[in-house]
Amino acid sequence: MDFFDSFPVMEQQSLRDFKKFIDLSFRTFARTYGDALEAFFQPLLFFLVWLEKLLLNTPWPIIILVIAILAWIGSRRWQLVLGSIIAFLAIGYFGMWKDTMATLAIITVATMLCILAGIPAGILMSRSNRVQTAILPILDMMQTIPSFVYLIPILMLLGIGKVPGLIAVCIYAVPPIIRLTNLGIREVDKETLEACTSYGATKFQKLKHVQIPLALPTIFAGVNQTIMMALAMVVIASMIGVRGLGVPILRAISNQYLALGLLNGLAIVALAIIFDRITQRYGTRIQKHRGQKNKIH
Amino acid sequence: MNTFKKIILSAVIALGFTSFGGIANAACGKIVMADMNWASANLMANVDKVILEKGYGCEIELIVGATMPTFTSMNEKGAPDVAAEQWANAVAIPLAKAVAEGRLHIANKAPIKGLGEGWWVTPGTLKRHPELKTALDILDHPELFPYAEDPSKGAFVGCPAGWGCQLANANLYRAFEMEKKGWVLVDPGSAAGLDGSIAKAAEGDKNWFGYYWSPTSIIGKYNMQPVDFGVPFAGSENWDGCIVKPEQECDNPKPSAWTKSEVNTVVTDNFKKTAGKKAMKYLKKRTYPGDVMNAMLVYMADNQADGADTAIEFLKTQEAIWTKWVPSSVAKKIKASL
Repeated sequence: MDFFDSFPVMEQQSLRDFKKFIDLSFRTFARTYGDALEAFFQPLLFFLVWLEKLLLNTPWPIIILVIAILAWIGSRRWQLVLGSIIAFLAIGYFGMWKDTMATLAIITVATMLCILAGIPAGILMSRSNRVQTAILPILDMMQTIPSFVYLIPILMLLGIGKVPGLIAVCIYAVPPIIRLTNLGIREVDKETLEACTSYGATKFQKLKHVQIPLALPTIFAGVNQTIMMALAMVVIASMIGVRGLGVPILRAISNQYLALGLLNGLAIVALAIIFDRITQRYGTRIQKHRGQKNKIH
Repeated sequence: MNTFKKIILSAVIALGFTSFGGIANAACGKIVMADMNWASANLMANVDKVILEKGYGCEIELIVGATMPTFTSMNEKGAPDVAAEQWANAVAIPLAKAVAEGRLHIANKAPIKGLGEGWWVTPGTLKRHPELKTALDILDHPELFPYAEDPSKGAFVGCPAGWGCQLANANLYRAFEMEKKGWVLVDPGSAAGLDGSIAKAAEGDKNWFGYYWSPTSIIGKYNMQPVDFGVPFAGSENWDGCIVKPEQECDNPKPSAWTKSEVNTVVTDNFKKTAGKKAMKYLKKRTYPGDVMNAMLVYMADNQADGADTAIEFLKTQEAIWTKWVPSSVAKKIKASL
């Protein structure tokens, strides 16, 4: 009966030893490879610091102008352009300009890094079902494992600062772009591909000239999701020493500063909405383009 | 006749209630204790839980807490009932007010001996550079503590955003003119960030300079060395009126050694009433020697034990210490329960 009443749990001492063993092996690993890894990520750090300084040292009207132009290029809608301008003016007026620029820098670099890593991974996944079955559970884990769990090994390896923050952000933000690249390429019409094959297109030609262009709207939806998720990680990244809008939010949490938390939270929301609308409009515009082409055919 | 019955009945009921109340009093009642989110307070809360439950018959519920939120809640809502390790510097004025109004009571003025905040360096730093005797010496050599994002500057690791000590470090940073001397005040973001930066530096035997406090497992484990400020404490007017205030309320901070830390065990009026004099007496006597606390914290970290496990370990191995806190009859009950 005992067997049913109490779960056959691992003996406490061995459980402890087991945990210690994992910790110790990781510590040895961190000690051996920590410096090398840091050196590896050094260029990324330089780029990030450079971008942040650039954003901070550029006069604010120019930044707002650039954002307005980007909004126009992306969406071609004056409402969105006006909305972005007003949002950034409000952010500046409430004294959150510096933090917003720091956040903008890390979000930009994180998105670029995610695209650089995510699209090839997505393509790889779309080429083979076996790779897909192998990668999917990893993506599930990346999206659901509490971020505090991987903050510990990242801290041990890289210390505090921008690069570990960036990696923490990317672990959470990269899955959607991988998933949607995979999905987009897999969704490309079989008959279209057959036609390409009959014209003697090589695999690479098919990928470059047919599959990726046709999958672009879906891939873009992935980019959009990645940006959103990166913004959601701003506060977590601040917990390991990344400057930006997350820092005042952490301060607000520990001191119950309602207004401070709300203002900075809303600044993140504003950034998110602007980026979301711009990339979404851009995505639908590419799709429209495709729709017209289809009609012509 | 009816009235007589009623009187008897009510007398019986009243008697019943009083005696019932008496039992409840003897059994100490239901107490909510703050289980703070750092190790020493976590351990103390769990030791208190065992002692008050097994020794005094209280019913203890632990709820997680942190310095500012817990104090605010105790001050505004009267719950939780006990904060075993309340660092008073951050909340000095509202605490004094609440104590004066009788809403909160200070049960113990020094629950841990030999504790304090300040600036620390890794032991390797001192070994390599024995000439760095005080903070003033260190401040002249930012190049020994290069900042990852700008190696031409020195990194001084301050407090995470939102901690009371963040303001103090920021103002001392200005008072010691550290920016001019080539230093950057680094915000580690969280307790994990601060601990991680120390652990990483100490594991790799690199130089590290920043804020921390004792007793903590990090200090004990990595043998971190306290830094003498090289200047005396510049008076409480400078400290309380300027250093701990936000930057805009502190125009002219003076260099100063860190104020002596005041740590209290704070209880609500409700605790004093429900738990009674005996429990208050226990809290008053309960003082952990600094080295014992550090040793327990290293045990906790090395074995990844939680507060409850470490509390049992403490009660089992440090009998000489805790049996002095309680009457021998109570100690017997606790020992029997282990």
